[in-house]
Amino acid sequence: MRFFRGVALAGALCFMNVPAFAQFDLNGSYTNRMFEDYIERGPGSDLGDYTGMPLSDEGRAKALLYTSNIPSEIERQCLAQSPWVLQYRPLGMRIWSEEDDNGRVLAWIIGGDYLRDNLTIWMDGRPHPSPNAQHSPGGFSTGKWEGDTLTVKTTNVKTQWIRRGVGIPGSDQSKFTIHFSMHDDLLTVLTIQEDSIYLTEPHVVSRVFQKDARFGGAGGRVICNTANELPRLEDTGIVPHYLPGQNPEADHMTRDLNVPHEAAMGFAKTLYPEYRKTIKGSYAAPTACTRYCCGWIERQGLPGAAPGLTCIDGGQAPPAKRSQATEK
Amino acid sequence: MVRKGLLLAAVIVLPFVLSSGMSAQGRGGAPAAPATPRTAAPVDLTGYWVAIISEDWRWRMITPARGDFPSIPMTLEAQKLAEAWDPAKDEAAGEGCRAYGAPGLMRGPTRLHISWQDDTTLKLESDYGMQTRLFKFGNAAAPANAPRTWQGLSTAQWIVAGGGRGRGAQRSGSMKTVTTNLRPGYLRKNGVPYSANTVYTEYWDVNTEDNGDKYLVVTNVVNDPTYLQAPWMTAIHFKKEPDGTKFDPTPCDAKF
Repeated sequence: MRFFRGVALAGALCFMNVPAFAQFDLNGSYTNRMFEDYIERGPGSDLGDYTGMPLSDEGRAKALLYTSNIPSEIERQCLAQSPWVLQYRPLGMRIWSEEDDNGRVLAWIIGGDYLRDNLTIWMDGRPHPSPNAQHSPGGFSTGKWEGDTLTVKTTNVKTQWIRRGVGIPGSDQSKFTIHFSMHDDLLTVLTIQEDSIYLTEPHVVSRVFQKDARFGGAGGRVICNTANELPRLEDTGIVPHYLPGQNPEADHMTRDLNVPHEAAMGFAKTLYPEYRKTIKGSYAAPTACTRYCCGWIERQGLPGAAPGLTCIDGGQAPPAKRSQATEK
Repeated sequence: MVRKGLLLAAVIVLPFVLSSGMSAQGRGGAPAAPATPRTAAPVDLTGYWVAIISEDWRWRMITPARGDFPSIPMTLEAQKLAEAWDPAKDEAAGEGCRAYGAPGLMRGPTRLHISWQDDTTLKLESDYGMQTRLFKFGNAAAPANAPRTWQGLSTAQWIVAGGGRGRGAQRSGSMKTVTTNLRPGYLRKNGVPYSANTVYTEYWDVNTEDNGDKYLVVTNVVNDPTYLQAPWMTAIHFKKEPDGTKFDPTPCDAKF
């Protein structure tokens, strides 16, 4: 009888719907391909540029208090950014596994850099901690394989900026779902951020990274050093900010790039195709591009490098171009 | 004892019965119909999808200024052509759909309707520019001297998770398509060119969230030895919609 029970158990286990082979090895270094959102991921966003964001009124109001002097304060220069800010930064990433004695993956680690904590994705089935448990710069992440896709959930993050250098806030209530898919040597990362405080709907971003054994990991220094960047603020207790309604860059995108104000301010309706039809007749493209016109980072690793091209790949236009652009 | 024997038999046989359904073929009954790409699909791409323009908004939702083309690893020759972009001239020459060829279309502010045209052909229709792409499974060779078109000729194959190994494993996977025979067009509305030599490769994944939301993610590689210094790699995402009520066909517009 014991024999039959053993056979029955073995038979059941053999044919369970376990996707035993439906996984890929994430171990390795990945280069960031900066072929979309180059300005944001390279030199940094324009102030007052919240295009592509579904901001709540509270999120928009908080973003408009931001000045680029805030991260220049000594106490904020090394403040860790969101665990998934890697979607907005110019750096690649290195991923490695932590395994048990039997070679089973307990966790995937995405190496941090001087502004981002290591990100640990637990694969051993442990539950997420209570929302009241500690929130950390790297948050708490668990992962599971769904076919050839690694799906990750991240909670327990700190209040952090969602995007780089422009003040778009994400609250500590944020929850992330991330999907990793591998195709040949391309790693596609889809992040879906839900934040009931600063977003009106999930914020979705997809990026491509390319496996590159020659790439040395995150590419950044591992220690963040501070320096006194704003001597005039030293020991004054002043926190740089704009008061509500006084941000001089609030209309920069409209003033200088003709971007409709509601799009620049991150209203969710501007993310969908029907919005384009509402601005036909009112939108006109600027007469010329004046900065970061052909920037892209490739191989040289230099911001704004665009080998051989003669267009403006930096933040300042030559005087002639500038004057041309202001003629309206 | 008999009941226990029946239970044992059920435990052993049931998974066979269940897994046989995965390939849509019966065992021991009527002759099984041969699997087709449609019945063998490891992922369901059909339905209505809307692009979420949360990236490159200024270059995708609206037409940027002439000469504004960051992010694209274009060549100097491409730059010169793009700086001479003249949408009125394009329209007059019957080239008003240049920005709606496959590599430009997919990054546009569009809704998609994906359906099976037949058992071996998946059809994609866009409301943006009213374009139709056909993805042909199998080894269909391109007809000799086939005219170049905005959407070119696309071959397709399923990529089954784990290479299809693992008996009884839940089937999942993605689609890979390769598009050639393209009529020269624009990667962006403001005249960034791609040539007739372009090979456009796409990987199609669907992710389902806990609340039932579905996202289609298309990983793109535009390889154009004429106008690109390196392959242009991006990912774009779409959200599934319940029906086609928001699908609003609009013809090509070179100027807006």
